[in-house]
Amino acid sequence: MLEATGLMVFYENMLALNNVSISCENNQIVGVFGANSAGKSTLMYTLSGIMEDIKKKEDMAGRERITVLGAIKYLGKDIMGLKPSQRARQGIILCPERRRIFPESTVLENLRIGGYLASPPQKKESLEYVFRIFPALEKIKKRVGGFLSGGEQQMLAIGRALMAQPRLLLLDEPLLGLSPLIQVLLVRSVKEIRDERGVSIIVTEQYARPVLPIVDYAFILENGANTGGAIGQP
Amino acid sequence: MNNEQGRKERLDRGIKVRTDGLYAIMSLRELCYLTVPRLVLIVGLLILPLVMPSMYWQRVISIVCIYAFLALGFDFLAHFVGLVCLGGAFFIGVGGYLAAILNTSFGFPPLVTIPIATLLGGAICTLLLLPCLPLRGVYFAIVTLMYPLVLMRIIEALNILGGTDGIMGVASFANRWIEQYFVILMVLLFLFGLRRLVNLDIGLVFRAVKDNDQAVRASGMNISFYKAIAVFVASALGCLGGACLVHIYMWSGISLFALDFSILPIAATVIGGAGTVVGPVLGCFILVPISELLRAFGTLRIVFYCLILVAFIVFRSEGIMVYGQRKYHQFERWVKI
Repeated sequence: MLEATGLMVFYENMLALNNVSISCENNQIVGVFGANSAGKSTLMYTLSGIMEDIKKKEDMAGRERITVLGAIKYLGKDIMGLKPSQRARQGIILCPERRRIFPESTVLENLRIGGYLASPPQKKESLEYVFRIFPALEKIKKRVGGFLSGGEQQMLAIGRALMAQPRLLLLDEPLLGLSPLIQVLLVRSVKEIRDERGVSIIVTEQYARPVLPIVDYAFILENGANTGGAIGQP
Repeated sequence: MNNEQGRKERLDRGIKVRTDGLYAIMSLRELCYLTVPRLVLIVGLLILPLVMPSMYWQRVISIVCIYAFLALGFDFLAHFVGLVCLGGAFFIGVGGYLAAILNTSFGFPPLVTIPIATLLGGAICTLLLLPCLPLRGVYFAIVTLMYPLVLMRIIEALNILGGTDGIMGVASFANRWIEQYFVILMVLLFLFGLRRLVNLDIGLVFRAVKDNDQAVRASGMNISFYKAIAVFVASALGCLGGACLVHIYMWSGISLFALDFSILPIAATVIGGAGTVVGPVLGCFILVPISELLRAFGTLRIVFYCLILVAFIVFRSEGIMVYGQRKYHQFERWVKI
């Protein structure tokens, strides 16, 4: 489904990703594990195209120059030069690190923003689906996003990403700062999403143990490079 | 070279790295590297009045310096303290009227009224802006934009301070050379002073207030106090400009509250390079003479003016100084990956 080969990302002269190749087949959950500064978030930004946006902004302000090299193939087509919005239309949806929900909108509004590109029947169907896998969200759907707890915010962020009809869902550190109980719950929901919606998922995490049971295989990043170590069979 | 294999690398020049450290005074070349750009600016500004062809252009230089005070203040507030200030006209007006009153009613000479107007005006402006300092967001910008309009209407409606005629008969500088060199020296003094200030400890606090005011509060510092100091510095600069302007024109009227004084410094900051302190001054030296040259086109000059601005924002939004500093300190080369 997605195949990225030889990805290199430079922030000015600092090498953030060094020749990283990862792939994700249809209906798989792929893990990307690594410590801080291993390049996990950079990888996610590059795959989702946000990097193109950051690059442009840095360029305009005359700050750091970002160089992105390599190839990303999605459904057999090269998507390297595409803007993040175009990638999202093709079904690559990023659920960003630290959730980035809209703090001044209610839960329902947040979800509806996520479903902006979907058709009305799709929207209705996926809204019901989100409320089914995260029943906690339905009870608080009138509350303002900024006042939710960390776990609720993360559910909301995943729900918002689901509303955009993903075919490939990129989850950037979905368990960051959550209690073990919520972590287990979220991991179970991620597996459910894959099983029931047929979505391919790439999930990054620092702490591999909670996620490990559900991944089909995983890559390990270290200092921006793929260590070659993989868990499971691709 | 093929883009697949190559990447343009940006590195600090060796001399830049050396002059950052102890070796700055080890050789003449390094001394020159550090001092020449500053000397070019200082000497350039000092000989500017001498090379100007006519009195008209000498007057333009003085006006440029007035705008430079405002641009310095704007850049300082916006990019080091995080307050977007649209109140250039407010500062000019307060400083100008204070100087005019001190001169005509109390008979103080210009060299006494200007310092008093600067300090007193800065204090008055800070006091008036104090209520909106604890707030974050657009409130400061809105309030600073409203004050000049309010003051202008008050003076007009109550017919105080000369009403629409303004205060006439303000004393001028002793001669035009004193006028020119006074404003130029003041610009240089505050330019280097502000650069020093933002690198002191208090400058660090200012930048921290801009980045994350909650963290500053959590470190036990009162952000309103630091914002007030910053606003005092910027408004005192603006009042200094206003006081000089009144003595140059020998008249103080409600046109001191014109929107030009608020908008042009912002444009100069965009063109010169935000956050460089010296950039806005250069921006003023480009923009104000251009607007004078374009006077020949009548009202069309606003159109040209806007086109230049838009072109700058679209193609070089980093600004001249940021670009220039990068070229001066760094070099680029292609490297193979």
